[in-house]
Amino acid sequence: MKKIITIFSVMFLFACGSNSVPDWKDRGFTQLENYKTHFLSGKEDTVEPHFIKARREIASSNDLNLLAVAYLTKYALHTASLEHFDAADFARLQRLEPNPSNMAYCHFLKGNFRATDATALPARYMGVLKAALDRDATLAAREIAAIDDPLSRLIACGVWTRYLPEDVRILQIAISTASEQGWRRPLWAYLAKLQSYHNERGEQAKATMVKERLELLKK
Amino acid sequence: MPVSRDFKVGLFIVCTAAILFLSLAYLAVGKGFFENVHTFTLSSKSGDGFTEGMPVVFSGFNIGKVHALELNEKGVVLIKIKIPQRHIQWIKSDSEFILYRPLIGSARIVVNSENLASPTLDENMIPEVMLINDINDAIARIEPVLERIIQIAENVEQLTRVLSDPKGDFNRTLANAEKITANLAGKKSLLEMAVSDEASVKSVHEALKKMQDITVRLDDLLKKTDEQLYHQEGTLPQVNAILKDLLGKLQRLDKTIDNINQISTDTSEGMKDFRFLRSDIDDVVNAIDGVVKKIDGIVGSKKDLEFKVP
Repeated sequence: MKKIITIFSVMFLFACGSNSVPDWKDRGFTQLENYKTHFLSGKEDTVEPHFIKARREIASSNDLNLLAVAYLTKYALHTASLEHFDAADFARLQRLEPNPSNMAYCHFLKGNFRATDATALPARYMGVLKAALDRDATLAAREIAAIDDPLSRLIACGVWTRYLPEDVRILQIAISTASEQGWRRPLWAYLAKLQSYHNERGEQAKATMVKERLELLKK
Repeated sequence: MPVSRDFKVGLFIVCTAAILFLSLAYLAVGKGFFENVHTFTLSSKSGDGFTEGMPVVFSGFNIGKVHALELNEKGVVLIKIKIPQRHIQWIKSDSEFILYRPLIGSARIVVNSENLASPTLDENMIPEVMLINDINDAIARIEPVLERIIQIAENVEQLTRVLSDPKGDFNRTLANAEKITANLAGKKSLLEMAVSDEASVKSVHEALKKMQDITVRLDDLLKKTDEQLYHQEGTLPQVNAILKDLLGKLQRLDKTIDNINQISTDTSEGMKDFRFLRSDIDDVVNAIDGVVKKIDGIVGSKKDLEFKVP
């Protein structure tokens, strides 16, 4: 009985302490998380409203830096799914309120490796950036595999695959990461990439297998 | 004391001489003989119109005259004018000198001094004389009028020549008119007069008869058409029937349109409800949000709400 009372009182204390998050932040964070989930799981119809809501909530805080993070998140998701993105909105924010780490991240996503400031980039991408500068695919595969966060791993794969010569190991890492998480949108993109990779090398049997698998998954 | 005759004669001569001298002196002073006279030099490209002794006029008053005319080595005519001391104040450095040659009256040099405060003209300066020539202007204006008068006279001459020519157009026209009137006087009918041929008159008569036949036939045709159109089973009654039918259908369509109107009003009213419904849904979502927050607060499973790039 004594134990139960102690546990409840501790819980009460925690409850008191953690109730200071502003509403906009709570809602903005949730919407951005929902946006990520819907984007990666390929629910294309419901994706954009989440981003618009997240953007609206964050904008109400007048914090351009947070807004830039929201846009960069969007670009990162596109990169992870091997899609093109237009960074005009971020460029406008950056002009108004320059932020070196955001700029470094954007350069990285756009494949401007020489312009990327390694010290301002999140530490998990440092190894990949080095490998990209050296164009060392083996090192890159090793560095990418070492990234803990699955989304960051997929983003690193996307950056390499979009701007540097494709590597089958990196494609496999991306496919297995997307499959594990059930992220349909990047999964299909990487399978399609793998198919074209095999086609380019004249490995028709492998290419056909990948193609059939993709068709079955999409059915 | 008796005065000698000699003395009287001497006195008379002396008085006469004194009076003569005084009157001469008075005349000379009045004419400005002792007055200081200034000579100014003017220039002109042509000496035409200038004469020695020509008056120099300021505001209609003679203030001097032309003393001499010279031609310098550049072919420019130099006009020297003499102005007495008392009139020197009208001749200014910015004065204009104009040779004015009126249509009637003698030529003169007119001085225009706009600014009487400016300094007096230096005698070494040579201003140019401008020309105002009334005669030439008048001639220039009259010339085109004269030309027109000459043209008119020529035209009149031509007209009279044409009219008076026995083989000319006018006389021929007159002859033709005469012929026509004679011809008209000899014909039987107005038509014959116009056509001047009996055979054609006949053919015109025939044509008129045929025309009569055609109008009779046309009458028949119109009767038939009337029947076709206005008969009980003619075209117009049928058209009427169709129109009546159409009217009935349109009246029914009116009802349909009314119904549609009703539906749209109902829908718009329903849409008002939608707004309430929407706000209700928002309220519910907010309430659930609140509940989730509270649960989060109680459970303490709140995530770290830091915005980071993935």
